[in-house]
Amino acid sequence: MKALLFALLLCAGLVQAKEWRVDPAASMLGFRGTAQGESFDGRFKQFEATIRFDPADLAGSRFEVRIATASADTANAERDETLLGGEFFDSAAQPTASYVAERFETAGPGHFRALGQLTLRGITKPVTLDFEWKSRAEGAELIGSATLDRLDFNIGTGDWADPDMIGRKVDVSTRLQLAPAK
Amino acid sequence: MNWRNTPRQWGLVAQGLHWLIALLVIGLAFVGLLMDELPNSPTKVQVYALHKSFGITVLALVILRLIWRLYDRRPELPAAMPRWQQRLAGLTHGLLYLLLFVMPISGWLYNSAANFPLRWFGLFTLPALSGPDSELKRLAHEVHEIGFYVLAALFALHAGAALWHHFVVRDRTLLQMLPGRAALETDR
Repeated sequence: MKALLFALLLCAGLVQAKEWRVDPAASMLGFRGTAQGESFDGRFKQFEATIRFDPADLAGSRFEVRIATASADTANAERDETLLGGEFFDSAAQPTASYVAERFETAGPGHFRALGQLTLRGITKPVTLDFEWKSRAEGAELIGSATLDRLDFNIGTGDWADPDMIGRKVDVSTRLQLAPAK
Repeated sequence: MNWRNTPRQWGLVAQGLHWLIALLVIGLAFVGLLMDELPNSPTKVQVYALHKSFGITVLALVILRLIWRLYDRRPELPAAMPRWQQRLAGLTHGLLYLLLFVMPISGWLYNSAANFPLRWFGLFTLPALSGPDSELKRLAHEVHEIGFYVLAALFALHAGAALWHHFVVRDRTLLQMLPGRAALETDR
């Protein structure tokens, strides 16, 4: 009986890849955009990620990230206020953006691709996250980047859609410090 | 009209810089007063960008003008002008120069502390004078605003004195800063 229970637990363990807990203080989710021909950097101060990942079990891996759009910070009060407004993130109506990935590919030793879906401003589009996975003795580190077109998600409506004023391409970068979930 | 100043008239360089700076400053003042009221839009961003570019232009022109002033002799003041008026005129001119530095530099500092880029007519980027800093931003904005009122008062005094010289005292002071006929005219 004990042996059967042990076997069942082992099977359950195989179904899902290892789950990780994000250390928010040591992790970041940033973005780089361009406005008037100059690049600017921002970050989301509040986001949560449920990371289930095992380099040896991509099929059982899954990312789910929830981002508080109102926590966007570009160190510029006027720009941040505009970003939260109805013409950009529309944070009052769309407080949360999410990224869910259930398909993964290997892209080289220690490098992977998450073929996920980003939901921003209520619009869902595929976004690929390229990332490096570093296993550490005490945990793991994920260093990732993605590129998206802001107009795919209607970020900057009306006159703000003009790509000469605000570039379409936005580079997203992230670094997550992960500890095994208990 | 000469390139350089003569005892009787400001030369082409000094006059050109004087009137160009005057025109730019008046334009900057009106746009600066109104642009804050614009609704947030790309147009507002562009108006601000132009205000900044023209402001930096004024800073460059004022530096050129001071260099030229060091190099070129100045026309004579009217002989009949009392000492206190000469001193007041000198003080007004000195303060005008000071404000022509304070305004663009406080604007530049405000822009830097607010973490906006500064591109001169979209052609090249000027360095930030500080990192993002909300306290410095507030201070620089205050200096820019108070500076505007001081500059406006000095402008009124300066222009009023020029008109007073021309129409009341009837001397050559204003004509010295005008092109053409002043150089040919005899003393009144």
